[in-house]
Amino acid sequence: MIRARSRSSAGAWLFALVLAASLPAPAQAQEEPALARRTTELREAPGEAGRSLATLAADTPLTRLADRQGPWVRVRTAAGATGWVHLFDLGPASGAAGTSGGGAASALRGVASFFTKPSQQRAITPTSTIGIRGLGAEDLAQAQPDTAAVTRMEALRVAEPQARQFAREAALRTESVEPLPVPARSGQGGQP
Amino acid sequence: MRRCTAVALAAAALLALPAAAQTSGLGLLNSILGGQQGGSASPAAALGSLLGGTQPTATAAPANDLMTLLSQADGTIDETREIEIGRQLAAVLLGSKPLHADAALQRYVNQLGRWISLQSARPLLPWTFGVLDDPGFNAFAAPGGFVFVTRGLVDRVDEAELAGILAHEITHVTERHHLQALRSKARAGLATQLLGSQIRTSNAVGSLVSQQMLALGRNLYFSGLDQSDEFEADRQGVALAARSGFDPYGLPGVLQQLRSAAPDNPLFALSLSTHPPAQQRLDLLEQAMGRRLDALAGKPVVRIEQRLAQPKR
Repeated sequence: MIRARSRSSAGAWLFALVLAASLPAPAQAQEEPALARRTTELREAPGEAGRSLATLAADTPLTRLADRQGPWVRVRTAAGATGWVHLFDLGPASGAAGTSGGGAASALRGVASFFTKPSQQRAITPTSTIGIRGLGAEDLAQAQPDTAAVTRMEALRVAEPQARQFAREAALRTESVEPLPVPARSGQGGQP
Repeated sequence: MRRCTAVALAAAALLALPAAAQTSGLGLLNSILGGQQGGSASPAAALGSLLGGTQPTATAAPANDLMTLLSQADGTIDETREIEIGRQLAAVLLGSKPLHADAALQRYVNQLGRWISLQSARPLLPWTFGVLDDPGFNAFAAPGGFVFVTRGLVDRVDEAELAGILAHEITHVTERHHLQALRSKARAGLATQLLGSQIRTSNAVGSLVSQQMLALGRNLYFSGLDQSDEFEADRQGVALAARSGFDPYGLPGVLQQLRSAAPDNPLFALSLSTHPPAQQRLDLLEQAMGRRLDALAGKPVVRIEQRLAQPKR
């Protein structure tokens, strides 16, 4: 990703180190401050059958660790005990990013928004000259259609028999799952 | 939903017709669907796209014709034109970031995505998946079966999480969310407004994408879809991934990652600005899922590197 010029000087090394430090680490690998959203058990193993190590009161501060098994997420308590809690019982520590912001509402949208409250407009962050950013507004603004690339992409298509073969080899079996019910309009997303 | 069954049935009926009768058959199919006759779409092209064959670009409807269609207050956009609009939007996305060069990765994502699409409401669309060479964390779709994920996303998820994301994007396609958004933009005269406010760039000669479609496409991917469409894609995507044999908690797992991303993180900026807040999405998924899918969640975690390392057939 980053091409450091091969100047074998301490300065270049230092620059590379600073640059590396400024890159966001993969979110997955990070521990994240979190809270118990409601009273829940800290379980020794992932699953309802896991032995309860402790009962966590609502708003108990926790640290979310990287492991997830189905709905079970590994956490560490302030006292240093580790165990598993259900993903839905875990919330962000107050003031975390995920509790605000969101879709750039546009007056031009035809479909009425799910929320009556207009969502906050948030500008895309301007790009810094160093560091890495993802596909953003500038890339879209400058995009010229590349139909040749679409043709190359279409050449990668997988036919149904090959997809079924892949699923067999991966031991993927279809399950019968009812459509999920549409939640009653709760107006606001749940801020506890 | 019902219409797509009608299309499939009509297509099956067409297959049984002798060749001479097919042209009038297509006319009938078009009038059933309320589509406009005209353009140069051939029956073969329509059938080809229905049956998942590659569509020759020579039969593409003229770009301006598609804009006219989008701007109309009524009239259904038939599947051939839906796919053509999708191709043009895919061209806009691929004009902003190239496909990743890793052929094994592209093949894997196409196999995974095609498998999930087979469980969807529109299994016969010409589903096409691609990994964009971009360090950011994002996924996109375009009408007619085009689905994109970024390299930065693939690097940060396991297979069940990737399946959850693909199922979410597949739902945007099966529910025609982008078409609805484009139509409301086109009817509001947005394309004309946008063209007035931006510097004209001369398209390459013979480009099939009109300036208006380009302007609408850029705007669409910058502003995102309606919030209610995102919630629907989350809800249906979870069920679709579970139906395909994956841990249903893949998508909630990804949303948890998005929740912990700093709002000014330039790798997550566009995802965060074009979607409702991750906590809200998780709250609504919790209300819809409860614990009813937990029994399907006891599957071992599969890392994507493991899949890519498996010997190729």
